[in-house]
Amino acid sequence: MPTISIFKSDLESLLGSPGAPRTVSIDELQEWLTLVKGEMKGYQADTGELRVELQDSNRPDLWCCEGIARQIRIKFGGTAKPHPFLSKQPGRPPQLLVAPGLDRVRPYVAACAATGYWVTEQGLAQLIQTQEKLADIFGHKRKTVSIGIYRLQKIRFPVTYELANPDDARFTPLGMETPMTLSEILMVHPKGLEYGSILAGQSRLPLLRDAEHRPLSFPPIINSREIGEVLVGDDELFVEVTGTDAAMVVLTLNIFAANLADRGAVIQPIAVRYPYETPFGKRVVTPRDIGRPRAIQIETIERALGQELGATVVKEALEAYGYHVSTGNKSVTVKLPPYRQDLMHAMDVVEDVAMSLGYGAFSPEMPSQFTVGGLSRIEQLSDRARELMVGLGFQEIISNILGSPDHYRDAMRLEGTEWGTMVEVRNAMSSSFSCLRQWMIPSLLRVEAASARSFYPHRLFEAGEVAIVDSAHEVGSRTETVLGAVIAHAAAHFSEIHSCLDACLYYLGKTYGLEPIPHPSFLSGRVGTIVVSGTPIGLIGEIHPEVLERWQIAMPVVAFEVNLSRLEQVV
Amino acid sequence: MNTTFSCDNLHPLEIAVLGVFGAHPAGAALTTDQLAEATKLESSQLSMAIEWLLAKQLLAVTSETVTSVVSLTVVGKTYVERSFPLDRVLSAAREASSTGKRLTIADLQTKEGLEPSDVSKAVGRLKKEGALLVVQGGCLESTGRPSPSVEAMRALLRDLHEAPRPLESFSEVQQALIHDYAVKRGSAKEPFRIEDRVTRFYRLSPAGVAAVNALAGQAKTEEVAQLSPDLLKDGSWRTKRFRKYTISLRPPRIAAGKKHPYREFLDAVKLKLVSMGFQEMRGSLVETEFWNMDALFMPQFHPARDIHDVYFVKEPARASAVAEPFFSRVAATHEHGGTTGSTGWGYRFDPERAKRLVLRSQGTAVSARTLALSPSVPGKYFSIARCFRYDQVDATHATDFFQVEGIVLGEDINFRTLLGLLNLFAREVAQAKEVKFVPAYFPFTEPSVELHVRHPRLGWMELGGAGLFRPEVTQPLGVTVPVIAWGLGLDRMAMVALGVHDIRELFTDNLDLIRTTRGAF
Repeated sequence: MPTISIFKSDLESLLGSPGAPRTVSIDELQEWLTLVKGEMKGYQADTGELRVELQDSNRPDLWCCEGIARQIRIKFGGTAKPHPFLSKQPGRPPQLLVAPGLDRVRPYVAACAATGYWVTEQGLAQLIQTQEKLADIFGHKRKTVSIGIYRLQKIRFPVTYELANPDDARFTPLGMETPMTLSEILMVHPKGLEYGSILAGQSRLPLLRDAEHRPLSFPPIINSREIGEVLVGDDELFVEVTGTDAAMVVLTLNIFAANLADRGAVIQPIAVRYPYETPFGKRVVTPRDIGRPRAIQIETIERALGQELGATVVKEALEAYGYHVSTGNKSVTVKLPPYRQDLMHAMDVVEDVAMSLGYGAFSPEMPSQFTVGGLSRIEQLSDRARELMVGLGFQEIISNILGSPDHYRDAMRLEGTEWGTMVEVRNAMSSSFSCLRQWMIPSLLRVEAASARSFYPHRLFEAGEVAIVDSAHEVGSRTETVLGAVIAHAAAHFSEIHSCLDACLYYLGKTYGLEPIPHPSFLSGRVGTIVVSGTPIGLIGEIHPEVLERWQIAMPVVAFEVNLSRLEQVV
Repeated sequence: MNTTFSCDNLHPLEIAVLGVFGAHPAGAALTTDQLAEATKLESSQLSMAIEWLLAKQLLAVTSETVTSVVSLTVVGKTYVERSFPLDRVLSAAREASSTGKRLTIADLQTKEGLEPSDVSKAVGRLKKEGALLVVQGGCLESTGRPSPSVEAMRALLRDLHEAPRPLESFSEVQQALIHDYAVKRGSAKEPFRIEDRVTRFYRLSPAGVAAVNALAGQAKTEEVAQLSPDLLKDGSWRTKRFRKYTISLRPPRIAAGKKHPYREFLDAVKLKLVSMGFQEMRGSLVETEFWNMDALFMPQFHPARDIHDVYFVKEPARASAVAEPFFSRVAATHEHGGTTGSTGWGYRFDPERAKRLVLRSQGTAVSARTLALSPSVPGKYFSIARCFRYDQVDATHATDFFQVEGIVLGEDINFRTLLGLLNLFAREVAQAKEVKFVPAYFPFTEPSVELHVRHPRLGWMELGGAGLFRPEVTQPLGVTVPVIAWGLGLDRMAMVALGVHDIRELFTDNLDLIRTTRGAF
């Protein structure tokens, strides 16, 4: 998941209180990062820049310096501070009016104002990084969620979220010098080119304007340069989030509100009025507490963790992880803080208890129940065949299964034949890795072609999986285990490989016969199907010189291939 | 020196030379020429044998003598065929005197084709010996007296035509003549050449005497190179000697039949897991998104399900169906939690998307299938599954790779037994005594943990990830007991064991590399 860049001094000031940073060593920090499933990827002592990878894709609140500091701070304080912005504010909040029709384009919006926090250089860098990471990863490249941040003093309320004619509405976007229409932005602006597909097929496009009809932005593409360019030193901000998922939109705004509040801003809620129904109603004041209290049995937690804890320990652990907790008789009732929305199952709470207490608080215990180990039948057969091939003087090979039709089919002269059908990949990065092998001999010829300078004779084998196209099968192909073998040297001959096949099948306890067939990969009259109990289970023959030419192999090659999966089934 | 040893190691050429000394009286000193005559060896073979014997200190050089040897030059050899200037000048003078013709020095040069220097040298000598007179007008006349030089020269040419001879073997007169007609600085066209030849005398050392005696004792047994069925059949091996080999030489190469080192590594892991009570599971290379992701409670909008993370199958693009009741249960669990006690993801589950076919991207798909097949409780399962990721291929990313993973089911499964199992893996798979458990995130487990171990050779490394399957995974598949899901990341251990630095080399096409890699597990 995301790797973010934070500054040690910024983190330290967020860990302490305003004006009194809490200094940490890198070792301590590394330890504390386990609380947020973070891994330090790098630290530059001279600039104080830290690279941290955050693993949890369900905790976007942790993808920023503020979130990391908050989780650690709560652990040390034992409880989370209340969030005043969630309680009812005196007076009527400023309004954001949503126009009809947006429910079919980009239905949801949430916003707040933040005042009293002077934006610092590092604070601005975090603000921009959080905006990018949340929109990109949590918001699926701005499709479900995108964020805009503006200079509040330039905005007159009420703000409207409306649909505009692409050729009428115009403003100077960030990164440009002159006004452009929305359609021009989509066609010319880098962000328009990058994210325009989100709005594909829309005749009217989303636009945020203030009461004086000045555009704030064209969500989810680009902000206006005039109102939407935040600078170091600004102390009045307006934040909005638009998107297609009501809960994700509100959660994202909550995260920004919490982050700015942690930096000392006073959060002013905004009332969003919709002309259509939303999961939170037609009038939604944001930030909004979207958590629901949930009762969880203490026993559930204790059984999952394998340790008796009691309600008090559980309560303390969860509070020290940011939860709001009340204890009942044999249960706890928990509620997530407003910047989290990842409680799907009681097991999510169980993990947070363990994280808060530290994994070191749980002593490992061996599972005690007895089980019998063993290999699958096909693996047992494959292992026996491998032992035999080694005894017959063959070197084992191991190859990639994903390869190219050139090798598996064309070089083998199998274009347009029944043997040439393969499982092919729709989104191949290159034709070299675009299909699964349907037989083994090409994998061995690959080695032969590359190894003309290795001393002869070459006796090679591989036992492994192939994918055989079969429309009758649930997934359109069967995965089978096959054994392939080749011999290459100046006098390589059918009878030599035949002797090896004969010995191998003898010791595997199978009586077989060879039946001549035509097969384009082999010399005519020197190729046969291997038949066991009336079932064809493989091929043997001298590789056709044209095949050798296509592989650029200058040595006679004889080969056999036995389908072990099929062999295992015949009586 | 050990005599027996040196005798047994003697080459037939050396034995031939020693044999000559054995046929001479004790203490005899022999020259190379004598040895060549007695052994009938080529001079190169003989000098080789002598060198070896000197090196083994079986022979010693007693003395060196320097002899002047006279041989014929190319000019000398033509004199044997066409006579020599002295003789031809005298003959011409005698013939002229008998016929009364005049003979001048110029005539000798033109008619006889002699060099002026040869003519004047011959005339000078013949005049001195009184065999020739120079009369008025520069004419030459024979006196009728014989020339000793001509007779002597004739004899010398005849003698030396056979073979070169030591200068000492000639009379003083002859020696003087040889010196007069030998090649010297300034007179290259002479018939004789005098050279210094070094003659070495060899004698047996005490060890050589012992070797000759030992050889005399063995003389009756025949030496053979190879034991043969015939020798065994008639028992004649008893009278043979077997030549000893120089066993310190490097042997010829052989192409061994052997397992691939990476497979051997995986076999060792497989054996460990079976010995810990794990049963092997097998799965399909092609899977539905349902089993690869949906059944693992990964929401359909999850970033890792993107077109850029998974390979999709071209034809058919979708499975015909997904088995019920799992399909409906999983769909309900995604949407609203179903009967699992979860809120679910709260989105519209797309059944068509669930049917899309992908190349298996995680081994956990095999575990999901096993959960749906009424697994044993208690039960332990593992698979070593080939998986495919849509990654740019580089030194740490292969397009397909093995994932070692599995599940443990049981009434006694909880977070602490999960840690206990990981401890066991650390000890058994990585021989690590120190472990660290770090909180982790996987979409299908809660709680989740990463296992870090101190490997005896690699230091601290992440060995694997594990967790308790979310009830949203197990319950829709019909499993009601807690289940551990675990996976081990063994590629780094394998690469170190095989001594490779590029993950692609685990599947190399370089036969030399495969043949020579030993692997160290």
